[in-house]
Amino acid sequence: MRRARSRHDAERLGSTRQGEGGAPAALTLCLLLALAACGGGSDDVAGGATDLPGPVPDGVVYAKAPADAPRAPPFAAELLDGTAISASDLWRERPLVLVFTASWCKRCAESHRDAADAVDEHDDALAVLGIVAEEDAQAARDYADDLDLGQPIAVASERVWLDYAAREPPVVVLISRGGRVLRGWVGGVPREVLARRLDELVERP
Amino acid sequence: MLVAGAACSSSGGETETSIRLVVPDKNIRTEGVECAGARPFQHVHAGAPYTIEADDGTVVAEGTLPVGHAENAEPGIDWGVERIPTFCVVELDVGLPERPGYRLRLDRGRPLEFVVEDEPVVLVVG
Repeated sequence: MRRARSRHDAERLGSTRQGEGGAPAALTLCLLLALAACGGGSDDVAGGATDLPGPVPDGVVYAKAPADAPRAPPFAAELLDGTAISASDLWRERPLVLVFTASWCKRCAESHRDAADAVDEHDDALAVLGIVAEEDAQAARDYADDLDLGQPIAVASERVWLDYAAREPPVVVLISRGGRVLRGWVGGVPREVLARRLDELVERP
Repeated sequence: MLVAGAACSSSGGETETSIRLVVPDKNIRTEGVECAGARPFQHVHAGAPYTIEADDGTVVAEGTLPVGHAENAEPGIDWGVERIPTFCVVELDVGLPERPGYRLRLDRGRPLEFVVEDEPVVLVVG
């Protein structure tokens, strides 16, 4: 259900992201290309580009990050469908919740779902990005299918895990709009605790 | 690295042996929570494959690791707080044929050599 909403958001964006479809022209093109370019599963990979957030809703105002909050280490990664992303592109527009997770970790799945639920309360005013290790990329596709969060999941290098001191999943990191680390929770964070922090960040006039 | 393991009863020529695989990561956790090895021991986690070879190289057991649980890294210390330095301990029960010695192999890291004397066998991941 959640994924369907997220796809809708992607379509609303009118962007050139992978996987958008549904328009008659796109369907026709797909048929013409006889499966070559449009076929395959990349347009329906859980945790892929179609799960990126839509535009920030009008009128949203964010609380300013403390001036002494450390800068979040920027990184590039690929989503589960191979789409290249930059974390700074995500936090440039809105606060971002990173969830360092693993396919084999039940606690991580619970923590990831809690974070996604808390973020969903704010529609597209906030974003959540799951992070899996490179050696976990294949299994993470099943993890994403099972969880069906409608949120993007990135495969990140060991460097990213070390930069965020994520020694063992789950680790949740809250980053402000503009890229300041506001808080990290080793071992995950209860949904209500994260929700409270997110409520403090987002103001709607 | 080894020690221990008195064997329990045997059936079909194999003896059920308890192994405690200790990850000396000293990660901060709540005692008792489910865990996996913290970096650089991230290859020790639920579902990770292992094999046990006899000293002649024959594979005598294989499987996947169950989830670990956090134990106080310094049992003599009452830290007075909930989250404390811990080791992640994975407990295995495996049937082993009688051999002079064994090696447990994980995806990464050096093989862990042991003999079965007292129970449980305690192996420290290196």
